[in-house]
Amino acid sequence: MRLKSLCSSLALAASLGLGAGHASAQMGDWTLEKAAKPYAGTSIDVVFLLRPGYEAAEKMLPVFEEKTGIKVNIIKHPYENALGEQVRDFVAGGDFDIALIDLVWIGNFAENDWIVPIDKFTSNPDLKDPELDIDDFFPLVLNAFGGWDGKIYGLPFDNYSGLLFYNSCMLKDAGFDGPPKTWADLKDVYGPALTKDGKYAFALQSKRNETQSADSFARMLWPFGGSFLDAKFRSNLLSKESQMGLKFRQDLMKYMPEGIVAYDHSEAVNALAQGDVAMITEWSAFYSTLKDPETSKIGDCLAIAPEPMGPAGRKPALGGFSLAVTSQAGEKEQAAAWLFIQWVTSKANAQQYLDLGGVPARQSVYKVPGNAEKYDFIPALVESWQEGVPEFRPRFAEWPEITEIVQEWGTKIMLGDVTTEEGAKILGERMEAVLDKAGYYSGKKPLAQ
Amino acid sequence: MQSRATLFAFLGPAVIALALIGIAPLIYAGYTSLYFFKLTKMRDIEFIGMENYATVLTDPVFWEAMGRTFTMLVIALPLQISLGLGIALLLHRPGLGFLKTLTRLSLVLPMATTYAVVGLLGQVMFNLKYGVVNQLLGFIGIDPVNWIGDPFNAFVMIIFWDVWQWTPFVALVLLAGLTTVPDEIEEAARLETKSWWAILANIQLPFLVPGLVAVLILRTADTLKLFDMVFTLTRGGPGSATELISLMIQRVGFRGFDQGLASAQAIILLIITIVLAQLYIRLLYRNDQDGR
Repeated sequence: MRLKSLCSSLALAASLGLGAGHASAQMGDWTLEKAAKPYAGTSIDVVFLLRPGYEAAEKMLPVFEEKTGIKVNIIKHPYENALGEQVRDFVAGGDFDIALIDLVWIGNFAENDWIVPIDKFTSNPDLKDPELDIDDFFPLVLNAFGGWDGKIYGLPFDNYSGLLFYNSCMLKDAGFDGPPKTWADLKDVYGPALTKDGKYAFALQSKRNETQSADSFARMLWPFGGSFLDAKFRSNLLSKESQMGLKFRQDLMKYMPEGIVAYDHSEAVNALAQGDVAMITEWSAFYSTLKDPETSKIGDCLAIAPEPMGPAGRKPALGGFSLAVTSQAGEKEQAAAWLFIQWVTSKANAQQYLDLGGVPARQSVYKVPGNAEKYDFIPALVESWQEGVPEFRPRFAEWPEITEIVQEWGTKIMLGDVTTEEGAKILGERMEAVLDKAGYYSGKKPLAQ
Repeated sequence: MQSRATLFAFLGPAVIALALIGIAPLIYAGYTSLYFFKLTKMRDIEFIGMENYATVLTDPVFWEAMGRTFTMLVIALPLQISLGLGIALLLHRPGLGFLKTLTRLSLVLPMATTYAVVGLLGQVMFNLKYGVVNQLLGFIGIDPVNWIGDPFNAFVMIIFWDVWQWTPFVALVLLAGLTTVPDEIEEAARLETKSWWAILANIQLPFLVPGLVAVLILRTADTLKLFDMVFTLTRGGPGSATELISLMIQRVGFRGFDQGLASAQAIILLIITIVLAQLYIRLLYRNDQDGR
């Protein structure tokens, strides 16, 4: 079996090599149809989430399938199941040919060799689209979503930055011309003025899942100068800056709806969409939901700004997904998967993806005249992607364990079961125990996040 | 010989299916519980003996989750038995035939509802702002209750939901038990006394014991492994307020990917369940036999 697969790999490699020489002679002739010809009839499996960017890609898919003859099987999962489904598939040597990678999973996937660096494909002229233009991706997004340890594995696909979505009519009625520039203003000026008559100034989604870690806990660390870890990978949660951020979150809760610890994205988005809260900080991906009159009743009152600044700067939340080819896929499936990834994230398709509700990471599409006016989240998004922090959440392989600890103790802090100091102390000890076991302190693993 | 072959032909498939579905995974869980076995670190798998068990037994989080689970059990189970017995006694009374048939049919509905659907329904019904529960409370002048976002209320809510779903099961089992009481004995007792308690305690209860033991064992096992409803409703939150032991095991095994530790937790839970089942059988059957 191994011999057979080795022979077929060698044969394919030889044919690719021959093809490479041929293709490089005719670089200008590269088309998706020609590149995909050897893989027509190949089926590839990929996990998609139930979010707007994926619906956009699904609508674009028939064109790809028609051009290439490659069948793309989409397996849909809610975010919470996507990691587990993929990990089990990779461990069992399953069927997924494309990995969907949240930026905090990249270290895990890369260290386990579940995904293939893109240079395997970009070095093959038969497979590399001459228009790939890797430098057109926002550098922060490409490196954070698709890069690990100096190599690029995935191309950014479903791209988010935290933005301040607000109801400009509510703000205007309360006497404000624009959104708060700083977190301090949001709490001390806008908070009291907008929290009245059963309405609230702000909702910070804080449900006990990745939302608590990413959207709530981490969001309050970075702008205040805090972080999860210091340079030596020891807990930094008891630092003055981290504590300032966590205490700020506690103080801000009085301007949030009751039961905010049960709010996930859908509840926060819905609260703004129904006019129950005036402001939320949410991922750019929810723009289409908030703009759509069928899912939002605030209509033209919707306005968007970058997240407010803290004492340490803006440091907005950064999140998103890249697509990478899996190492478990056969050679043919790998090539077909790469062609799909390259196509769906391409410069040429970025406009259509944007028009259908996706958020591309291509710089060029945001420079197209008229786009910034048509999609009012663009200026804030572009600004945020200049100022984001790649390690907003650490991206190493231990994050799945650490996020569980953050979720538990982050929520306990919010509920007042423990003080910010007590919670940060326990959280830090448990986080360090995980990192110690992984070998970061003994020097077994490099301090990479 | 022929009869043995026939026996095997009938029983064999069931035994093989049980071995494959039930026993093989159990043996595998026992095996992985002795290893450092993380799905995200498959290269580091190693035999560590009883270390996972030592970690579980000394982990306060595990015992907190266990405490929460037993708190739920000791509140929900007596409620289900009392309410179930009340319903069974009402349905056992003569008269109102059509209405009773209708009631019996409607009792099946909560049980037939999938756990996960019950949880999702709860998310909608107990929603602070739009939920029907708070709307109903509003009609009688009670302010909206923060069911899902408050630790105490969330725990009350999952108990309420469990009682709602499983009281009908207890009622139907006990009703079946009541139908086994010979009519002449019950009628004779009714001539002797008008006290319903005397009839229940001396005549009906002995016939209800087998059903009660079944209820106790099944409901205890079900509560100890209750997962879907709580997961879809609160996901163990807020904080850890509703993180029952099964949710904790799932979290460790499938979100933290530590299959070794999760297996050790599951084996310990299994041992506790078996011990409890044995206790129920010994205590109740012995009392029942002594009583007779």
